[in-house]
Amino acid sequence: MSVGVMRTPRKLDLELTSQCNLRCRYCYFFSNPAVQYRDLSTGEWLQFFAELGSLGVMDVTLSGGEALMRTDIRQLIQGVVDNRMRFALLSNGGLIDDATAAFLAGTKRCNHVQVSLDGSRPEAHDSARGRGSWEGAVRGIRTLQRHGVPVAVRLTIHHFNVDDLEAAARFILDDLGLSRFGTNSAGYFGNCQRHADEMMLTAAERQMAMDTLTRLNREYNGRINAAAGPLAEGRVWRKMEAARKGGASAFSNGGRLTGCGCTSNKIAVRSDGAIVPCNMLPHLVLGYINRDALAAIWQGDPVLAGLRGRRETPLSDFEFCAQCAYQPYCTGNCPGLAYTLTGQVNHPSPDACLRRFVADGGCVC
Amino acid sequence: MNQTDRPVANPLVVLREEFDDWAVLFNPDTADAVGINPLGVALWKTIDGTRTVAQLVSQVRAGFADVPASADAEIAAYLDDLIGKGFVGCEPAPAA
Repeated sequence: MSVGVMRTPRKLDLELTSQCNLRCRYCYFFSNPAVQYRDLSTGEWLQFFAELGSLGVMDVTLSGGEALMRTDIRQLIQGVVDNRMRFALLSNGGLIDDATAAFLAGTKRCNHVQVSLDGSRPEAHDSARGRGSWEGAVRGIRTLQRHGVPVAVRLTIHHFNVDDLEAAARFILDDLGLSRFGTNSAGYFGNCQRHADEMMLTAAERQMAMDTLTRLNREYNGRINAAAGPLAEGRVWRKMEAARKGGASAFSNGGRLTGCGCTSNKIAVRSDGAIVPCNMLPHLVLGYINRDALAAIWQGDPVLAGLRGRRETPLSDFEFCAQCAYQPYCTGNCPGLAYTLTGQVNHPSPDACLRRFVADGGCVC
Repeated sequence: MNQTDRPVANPLVVLREEFDDWAVLFNPDTADAVGINPLGVALWKTIDGTRTVAQLVSQVRAGFADVPASADAEIAAYLDDLIGKGFVGCEPAPAA
């Protein structure tokens, strides 16, 4: 067990179902040949929640598919509550009605419901998510707000909504009245791999998104968040470029594969019960719930240990990073994207590579 | 808190023990969390409403080496803090 890792995971990401009422063109979840798209019974999940409670797990994030497709979703959420945990729910919003929102509010354990909303108008959102889905998302958000359920919005940027970002920010922050929202961009996972050419941002679109979001975030006093995607990349890449130009010494997390810290405090479960390091690494099956002890996997699984040890791997080991002036400042980024793009988990991700962005005509000046 | 009060842990609160013997107390109703040291962990495991504060202090003195004289006040302050956060309830001593 490496230093700095908790005795048991603090959080889990649980894909409760492989069912969904939408088929979004960039969805990370579907079309993964390594995944068995089947669901567990109510009893199997409840048995696992009891194990989580005994391990002192604090938070779970419930997703799918669309978690609200499960007819037993209230029973499952009650199982989370009964085992002294809090929860967040990821949803497309379309199935949220008054009764659901009232139930969620009544649990008093809901950290937030994150609704995917990809634009200020139906065309921007529905282009990737299907006709009528924008109206469903907005109706869901307003229903949650009416019942006092904390709402988060995630906006995924792609080719068909990148010109709507300014209007989207105004709609979400001013019209809907959210305190903040998050952004990322369509990534090379699942369905998006089949639609990459039409959905993913070009370097020019990425540049536009980065510049627009940076300006809007300044205007809205930091009310736009991002852990990945153009806003986050802009923030990191500007620091890297300034460091390179000034000849600064290496960043404390630079020059090695430090880009992912997820495995230090959380783990994930697929809808078929497979325990995996992360939803973005669904092919790395570490065991199955109710068959394998989660604590034993967390503390002793060699694949998980390897992922944690990834951060000791120097970027200088990779031909991909050879002669790169940004190497002392780079973290190698997401191992999930590294895998889908290169076939290797222990490799820098080409997706958030600043050198490649600049070579493609991008600018972080 | 008086030395004769009997503190009792909120049964909803989760104790997450870590490898270094420190732990986190987590109240899922409020999402509040607080880190506690090994002495705090030992105390937490015994505040079940059957022992007075004075008895808890005695227990600490018996179980840990070099407990300073200020421990009584520090333990009382620790319990007061947990009561303020809703992690602990307190059964007052019966009236004389």
